[in-house]
Amino acid sequence: MVNCIDNSGAAVVECVKVLKMKRHAKIGDRIIVVVQKQRNFGPESGPGGSVSISAANKVRRGDIRHAVVVRTAKKVQRPDGSVVKFDDNACVLINKGGEPIGSRLNSIVGSELRDKKWSKILSLAPMHL
Amino acid sequence: MATSSKSMRSLSCWKQILRQTRAVRQQQFRTLNTTPISISRFPGPPPPGLSRPRASQQDVSNRQPKKMKVYPPPPSARAVCKDPIAAVTESQLGKLDPTRARTRLFTRSNLDAAKVGDILLVRTKNGDDFAGVCLNIRRSGIDTAILLRNNLTRVGVEMWYKIYSPNVEGIEVVQRREKRARRARLYYMRKPKHDVGSVENIVRQYQRQRAMLRSADVKSRDANSTKKKNNKRGSNK
Repeated sequence: MVNCIDNSGAAVVECVKVLKMKRHAKIGDRIIVVVQKQRNFGPESGPGGSVSISAANKVRRGDIRHAVVVRTAKKVQRPDGSVVKFDDNACVLINKGGEPIGSRLNSIVGSELRDKKWSKILSLAPMHL
Repeated sequence: MATSSKSMRSLSCWKQILRQTRAVRQQQFRTLNTTPISISRFPGPPPPGLSRPRASQQDVSNRQPKKMKVYPPPPSARAVCKDPIAAVTESQLGKLDPTRARTRLFTRSNLDAAKVGDILLVRTKNGDDFAGVCLNIRRSGIDTAILLRNNLTRVGVEMWYKIYSPNVEGIEVVQRREKRARRARLYYMRKPKHDVGSVENIVRQYQRQRAMLRSADVKSRDANSTKKKNNKRGSNK
């Protein structure tokens, strides 16, 4: 179960496949997910989210989508020796072409995305570390 | 090769000698029993097969053992450098922390040192500063690292920083813990019950104060102001 941090309408998704590799996914890896829980645009939506209802749910529960991992609870070591660890696992839904489905993200993402050429997601994110 | 062949020959000689002596003894015994004439034959010249190896044996015993060249052992690394790891650490520290400010900030003996539970601010070269509660200090020479925890956009984030890393420009103590932490590792602060949450406000306040202090300092220096003025400013802060 992975949190979905964009305003595509998914709140919790489940990873069913890690693409292009036979191991666990890391930040910046593309995965296939099944939407498990839809975001109800009420009090649960994030602080930076303020998701407008007009940007309604683009995905529904049970949809199979591609996504990019943006945060992992597993420690990630940077080339300079520093290590970053988030409290949760999170992803951002994308379409087959690699464009994010949502139009904004509501929480921090790892800056490993830059190395993996996900600059579009990085620019949408309110913060990266 | 020569020595081995010699040894082999001598061994074979021994075999031969033993065999011959055995034969001679038997013969002697028999001759003693049967014909006394043969005894007179023995004090004479010994049989050629028996004499030769015996002579060679005498030669060997007479000769001095061959002088072997003994080389001194290679110089011990221990004598050159008693504790190479410490030496390397020292040289690395000299390179990465010439003023020893970082070392002092994290030594146990220093009373003003940063401790777990303090809120620390790490300024990095690339401009991404990170502040957080220090959960753990991993002291191991040049690899000494600190674990900081903070909440960014409501997501808990933990970062390990190597304190001697050239990417780390400075480490500041933003706020000290009022009471000394009774644990060395404050991993319990990850639990929601103990989580301090975001420290952004505290850090921002600290930075504002610092900026004010700095600007005041600069102003006083620029204006070459009197001591009285400085005091006034100090009281204002």
